[in-house]
Amino acid sequence: MQRRASLGGLRLALPAALGLGLLAAGCGGGEEAEGGRTRVVFWHSFVNSTIPALDELVARFEREHPDIDLVPQYIPTGDALVQKLITAVRSNTAPDVSWIHADYLEDLVAADAIYPMSEFIDGPDGLSPADLADIYPALLTYASYRGTLYSLPMEATNLGLLYNRDLFREAGLDPDRPPATWDELVAYSQRLTLDRNGDGRFERIGFAVPVSPGTGPDGPWMVWQFTAFLMQAGGDIIDSGQTRVLYAHEPGRQALNLWKRLFDLQNQRQFSNEYQSTFVSQQAAMMLDGPWNLPNYPRLLRGIDWGIAPLPAGPDGPATVVGGEYLAIFRQSAHPEAAWTFVKWVASPEIQAFWSQRSGYLPIRRSVLELPAYRAFLAENPGLRAYAEQMAVARAQRSVDFSSLEIQRNLAVAIEQATVGGEDPGAVLDRAAAASNALLDAADRTAVAAPRPAPAPNGAQPVE
Amino acid sequence: MSAARLQLAARAGGRVATHLLLYGLAVATVAPFLWMVLTSFKDLAEIFAYPPTWWPERFTADNYVAAFEAAPFGRFYLNSLFVAVTVTLGQLVTCSMAAYAFARMDFRGRDLLFYLFLGTMMVPAHVTMIPSFMVLHWLGLIDTYGALILPGLASAFGTFLLRQFFLTLPKELEEAAFLDGYGRFRVLWQIILPLSRPALATLAVFTFMGVFNDFLWALVVVNSQELYTVQLGLSIFRDRYSTEWGSLMAGSVVATLPVLLLFVFAQKQFIQGIALSGLKD
Amino acid sequence: MMAEVAAAEAQGLRRVASAAARPRRAPWRRDGRTAFLLLAPTLAVFGVFVLFPIVFSFYLSFQQWNLFSGAHTFVGGANYRAVFADPEFWQVFRNTAVYTLATVPLNMALALGVAVLLARRMRGKRLLRAAFFTPVVVSSVAAGVIWRWVFDPNLGLFNVSLGALGLPAVDWTSNGTSAMAALIIVGVWKTFGVNMVLFSAGLSGIPRQYYEAAAMDGARAWGQFRHITLPLLAPTTLFVLVLSMIGSFQVFDIVFVLTRGGPLGATKVLVYYLYEHAFKYFDMGYASAVAYLLFALLFAITLVQIRAFRNRGAGAV
Repeated sequence: MQRRASLGGLRLALPAALGLGLLAAGCGGGEEAEGGRTRVVFWHSFVNSTIPALDELVARFEREHPDIDLVPQYIPTGDALVQKLITAVRSNTAPDVSWIHADYLEDLVAADAIYPMSEFIDGPDGLSPADLADIYPALLTYASYRGTLYSLPMEATNLGLLYNRDLFREAGLDPDRPPATWDELVAYSQRLTLDRNGDGRFERIGFAVPVSPGTGPDGPWMVWQFTAFLMQAGGDIIDSGQTRVLYAHEPGRQALNLWKRLFDLQNQRQFSNEYQSTFVSQQAAMMLDGPWNLPNYPRLLRGIDWGIAPLPAGPDGPATVVGGEYLAIFRQSAHPEAAWTFVKWVASPEIQAFWSQRSGYLPIRRSVLELPAYRAFLAENPGLRAYAEQMAVARAQRSVDFSSLEIQRNLAVAIEQATVGGEDPGAVLDRAAAASNALLDAADRTAVAAPRPAPAPNGAQPVE
Repeated sequence: MSAARLQLAARAGGRVATHLLLYGLAVATVAPFLWMVLTSFKDLAEIFAYPPTWWPERFTADNYVAAFEAAPFGRFYLNSLFVAVTVTLGQLVTCSMAAYAFARMDFRGRDLLFYLFLGTMMVPAHVTMIPSFMVLHWLGLIDTYGALILPGLASAFGTFLLRQFFLTLPKELEEAAFLDGYGRFRVLWQIILPLSRPALATLAVFTFMGVFNDFLWALVVVNSQELYTVQLGLSIFRDRYSTEWGSLMAGSVVATLPVLLLFVFAQKQFIQGIALSGLKD
Repeated sequence: MMAEVAAAEAQGLRRVASAAARPRRAPWRRDGRTAFLLLAPTLAVFGVFVLFPIVFSFYLSFQQWNLFSGAHTFVGGANYRAVFADPEFWQVFRNTAVYTLATVPLNMALALGVAVLLARRMRGKRLLRAAFFTPVVVSSVAAGVIWRWVFDPNLGLFNVSLGALGLPAVDWTSNGTSAMAALIIVGVWKTFGVNMVLFSAGLSGIPRQYYEAAAMDGARAWGQFRHITLPLLAPTTLFVLVLSMIGSFQVFDIVFVLTRGGPLGATKVLVYYLYEHAFKYFDMGYASAVAYLLFALLFAITLVQIRAFRNRGAGAV
């Protein structure tokens, strides 16, 4: 019968599929060296447009180090990256080297999951003090936790102002004179904000204030951008003793007032919070941006005459917040020295110049800016040059050593409350500061993992 | 006009109205999806054009090319298909066996066990995720196909669905088969299952859909890009700093098609399966 | 399909008749071992990946367990107490309740309406059904992406259409109420297809004779609906109700992609809250406590619903 035949076929297919499935179950990622080469697994979250550059970097590294097989693995950034790091550390499947953010240091160090960099820097194949001094100190601040260096930067970024020169011209503004102060920022925004058809809704706004849901995944990103303005007003997130948050003081109030003023002036409630889309569709004339997006612009901003300007200076002068990506080496790595070889190589001046030219990120060392080839490259890339020049005033936000996520979250929620929620900036900042200070009071300051004398073999971590 | 004519006219008018209503609603329902498809064929500049356009001014397959170039989408597709098909087949086997046991056999604790199964459907997935992950790690299966396949091989929902269906089949068939010397397994395989095609089709569609569209679990257990599923692949186009709308739309269309096609073709069996499963009793 | 069963049944009956003389075995009693064999694969997978995690999570809910460091200590009911003391939990609970109370009735009414209309003789029934089922098939991630675009205050389909009709635009993302409304729209859109199919199946089980008899007695469409369709549909309705409630209470994907819980936490739902505590603050004990509270709530609600239907004399699930 027809039915029986088809079932018979099924009879064969089923065990085969299950068997295949179980067989395949054993395959997948492994940790053993391949063909005699040392395998170094590198986790990163480079956006799609940077992948070609990354491939070139990896190829060059393997050419210069034929005994190492560098395996990059893409992990979506943000929540996904930290989740994967946790589950990997707990299950003994951590990578050899990975991107990390300063936020993760508290937990990573408490779990003793990563090496303090001193173990390598002071070792035989280390870095000289001159080398270390060449790296922008602001970057090293982010790479440290409570004074100990736990990672090394791979590239630097800072925050700048992306603006639409065509729209400037249209509004009668000089595209070569972007706003240089807070007051100019407000004035320019007003000029650029338009209601063409008189229906009471603006079709275009001058400056997209980067507000997003405070407790959402973009919260920390919003806080990072806000910190630039905080620093321009002379403030910082937290005091040096890690006892009190500072964002509710005068600089914080000034910065939040500026954001609120712009938000209300431009009725930003009526705009989507996909800021890049609003800029690309020319609904916003200015937005905050960083060098990581530069490779995208030829495609994304085709038809727009865009420019990059340093952030407008605040009451305390010009400043921008520095960022970047940091590499940490995990104790579970079977080959920490090979991982270090990569980290050290990437931090060298020629590779930094090479990487910057390919990826659009900024170099981590000052000496790179002196290299003639790099200077020539910058001359041809005004966007990147603007960011590079801003490195002179780029500062690191002081990192929060305790309950960092919650404290930043409180600030993010306050920012959202003052802008979208229409509340008084002073009041919301005070509330956030009170909650954060309570957390700082309750923090356990004694628990710091002391650096071990020698790297443990195979870094076995007991799984509980 | 005569009363009969009036009634006919009213009924015809009612029918037209019903047709209009249904077709209108259908269009409204499909509209967002249609937009996604149309947008996937626009070039980037037009995607962001204001005012927005419906029909692409310039049809381009650039986004699809970009999506397949940016990431090995073909590979992701194969991964998704492989995992979904394997889990679907696996569930068909395990659920029909378990459902048969619950429907036809008498053993101690049967009803209690069944209600336990039902109860597990109410526990949110995020809670069981971490311990499940830990188990997979102890078995050494993280970042393997096994991690994507094994947990899905059993299903309370599938067992429930098939059990209800089996309950509606007349017992005489099996009784006769036993008298002929058939064993339990043979009865299941050669008598029950052939009669259960609609219910099996229903389960297959639901399972395939669920596995193919899964994002969170795949995110947690997979690291290497070679194992990425289509849903994970889509996340490459969307991150904190930028969204590649064109590729994202194209990728989303590609990701949605298999399940949609499966439903369109299996529709009749699917609905019949639910109807005959006696879920309604 | 029915013909096949009938044919098989006829064959079976013939078998029974011809075998009446043979001695009978009693296959129903040897059940324990065979049942175990049949259940083994399911139980194995279930035990490892469902039951163990559920039990382990329950255990976790009484611990303070930091995921990163692995350190854990027993804290008794402290997690549960902390949950009840957290104002955000109550906000989240309220949001989820509002979402559920709005989505479930809308969903069911729409699904039932469409199913009833489709039950008539209609051209293009298959196509229509596929159209209504499309949202179910689209992954939540893709759906969230599309709807984010549709709700874009300036470029989005919704506001542009409103504008074309001369109506004022709605600020979806910046207003708590409208964001929740947006979420409800997407939620109903995404799931009513399943319910429609379930109702269709239920409707197909109601014999035509009832309607014909009622028509002859002079009952019109609405009367038929109230006195025949609804009561006979009760078991399906219960099933759909229970499933919808459980699903709505556990909504997560579309919130994550569409509103991120904003603005100002107005669309933050229970599972999002749980997700944050588990995967952002790595406090698995607390998250497990929230999960078990959710489970207890759903269990209670389901029991009440089943009881209520049973009391109306409409049959068991």
